[in-house]
Amino acid sequence: MMSFTFETVVLIGALGLAVIGALGMVISNHLFRMLLALAIAESGANLLIVLTGFRAGGVAPILGAGDPAASMVDPIPQVLVLTAIVIGVGVQALAVALLIKVYQAYGTLDVRELRDRMDADVAAAAGVEADASQDAPAGGRPLSPAPSRGTAGFGRRSPAPADGLRP
Amino acid sequence: MIADMTLSRLLAADVGYLVLPVVLPLLGAFLMQPLARVSARGARILGPLLLVLSAGITAQLWLQLGDAPFSLAIGGFAAPLGILFYADRIALLFALAIPVFALLFWPEFGPGAGGRDQAARRDALMLLLVAAATGLALSGDLFNIYVFYELAAVASFGLVALTGTGRSQVATFRYLMISAFGSVFALLGIAILYMQTGTLNLAQIAQLAPETLPNPIGLAAFALMLIGFGVKAELFPVNTWVPEVYAGAPARVSALLAGLVSKLAVLVVVRLLVLIFPQPEAAELMLVLGVLGILTGELAAWRAKDFPRMLAFSSIGQLGMVFVAFAISGEIGLLAGLAVMLHHLIVKSALFGLAVRWSGSLEALSGAAGVSPLASALFVLFALSLIGVPPLPGFWAKILVLIGLAEGGTPLDMMALMALLLATAIEASYLFRVAIRLYEDTPTPVPPPARRDLGVAALLGALLLAVTVGLKPVADRLGEDAAQLGERALYIQTALPSHVARKD
Repeated sequence: MMSFTFETVVLIGALGLAVIGALGMVISNHLFRMLLALAIAESGANLLIVLTGFRAGGVAPILGAGDPAASMVDPIPQVLVLTAIVIGVGVQALAVALLIKVYQAYGTLDVRELRDRMDADVAAAAGVEADASQDAPAGGRPLSPAPSRGTAGFGRRSPAPADGLRP
Repeated sequence: MIADMTLSRLLAADVGYLVLPVVLPLLGAFLMQPLARVSARGARILGPLLLVLSAGITAQLWLQLGDAPFSLAIGGFAAPLGILFYADRIALLFALAIPVFALLFWPEFGPGAGGRDQAARRDALMLLLVAAATGLALSGDLFNIYVFYELAAVASFGLVALTGTGRSQVATFRYLMISAFGSVFALLGIAILYMQTGTLNLAQIAQLAPETLPNPIGLAAFALMLIGFGVKAELFPVNTWVPEVYAGAPARVSALLAGLVSKLAVLVVVRLLVLIFPQPEAAELMLVLGVLGILTGELAAWRAKDFPRMLAFSSIGQLGMVFVAFAISGEIGLLAGLAVMLHHLIVKSALFGLAVRWSGSLEALSGAAGVSPLASALFVLFALSLIGVPPLPGFWAKILVLIGLAEGGTPLDMMALMALLLATAIEASYLFRVAIRLYEDTPTPVPPPARRDLGVAALLGALLLAVTVGLKPVADRLGEDAAQLGERALYIQTALPSHVARKD
């Protein structure tokens, strides 16, 4: 029978964070939310790595302080995590910078709208006809579209994209 | 005795140069900005110069040390405590190919569109990509592989966003998100491996793997790392970034990403598979994902209406075939995988080179043969090789995969075999459609490819024909490469401390 020690709880928590983050990245429809989900997933992964080197009651891994090596926590996962955190921060900063650029270019951060407009842009740049929107119902709409529920600032911008924001 | 010592010292000193192909471009990348302030011209020639130097050093090392694998303990700290570079024939082949291809597809030799600052930034990113890719080919531990993988990713984000259009920025953002998603997966996989074995050194994990990893936990670690490193290798579920990135990035950057960087990610996965996860379930997972990649990629390519996106989708299909090939057990799988991989490296890079000027829709290409007969002839040559028409090398690569699958004989293998044949028919359909269009008799103003891209494509085409003529020696060499790649014991013996050549 598995006993619920402190480590087990943290382990489950770390995996849970990673899963929450990964799910959030897959299901969110807003680029900024995707970025936040990424930050959560990364912290989950980092926590898991730190845990691999954790020893209950261990001391800092510094030789010469008189502690025997057996009582030290494992330094390698800590080094790996430091590297991973630094890389993660850099990538997230880059992502925020790109988000600003994307918002300046399209005036929205909604994934569905961006995908349609980017597809149209790619097609226009290539001089071909764009495919129909992936969100459009096949065979057209039998009824006139319902008025969209615009959420202020977050989520889908509606009804018309703000052309004034384009450079 | 003394002569013996001098010899070993000489040998050790030579091995130390192996770090230079990684260190030189890295140094150059960070010197680029200050140098551009002092002398724009100096900064412009710095990148190509360093690439030539790196390629020269690698070639020199290879010639001196021969084909036996060797390893280098960085800073003299022996593995498994220290980190190491492991160089076998395949690693050296890639360490040589990276600077050469980066030179062939160097974005601009002149100042380019964005002026001096933009040129310096672009060149710095290119050098960073080269350093990271070379490091990926040579690294012998998971820690360094992870770091170099991330470095390559960040450099490629910058290069993809270079054009500065809105669509390329959205594409870069989505690429970044999927890539970071993959990194989380890879990190989780690495954490599990560390938890099970207590080391990050590939050779040591390989030694411990038979006791600690043939279980569901080990398989989960492999699956996580396959998805993680599969992002760059355009593996099936994490390849949605491919078409938009290749359509938005400068075509020469696309050539490098599709041709070179994807292969390095594949190489990492293959090392994991050979060294750490020999269980059949791991290969089966890769086979299934590869088959899905083949089918989705080729079908999407068949529907594509513009040249860059057609190439992008077809590259997804081709990389699916690479994964299928490496999933075949035994040496024939490795041989087939290497053949398909190197063939795709040459052909797809060259095709993206042609796409620099032919970036428009496929319809707009009609009658291009009248404007540039050489480019059209090259396209037909590459297309035939991609489809696998004998006697071109693409045929031999594909037939190796088919033979391997037929020998395997499990239901999964048969399914993959059928998917491959179907994919070949689809490939032939859309590539011939373009070829026919090129030779249509409608005089339209199609821009001819720039002389430089045409030269590069012609060079790669000549290489392809040379391989066709000298197939026997090339095949023999590739067979030896595959044998060496598959020898787990040799890797462990070379990489672990008692045999590591120490640097003085």
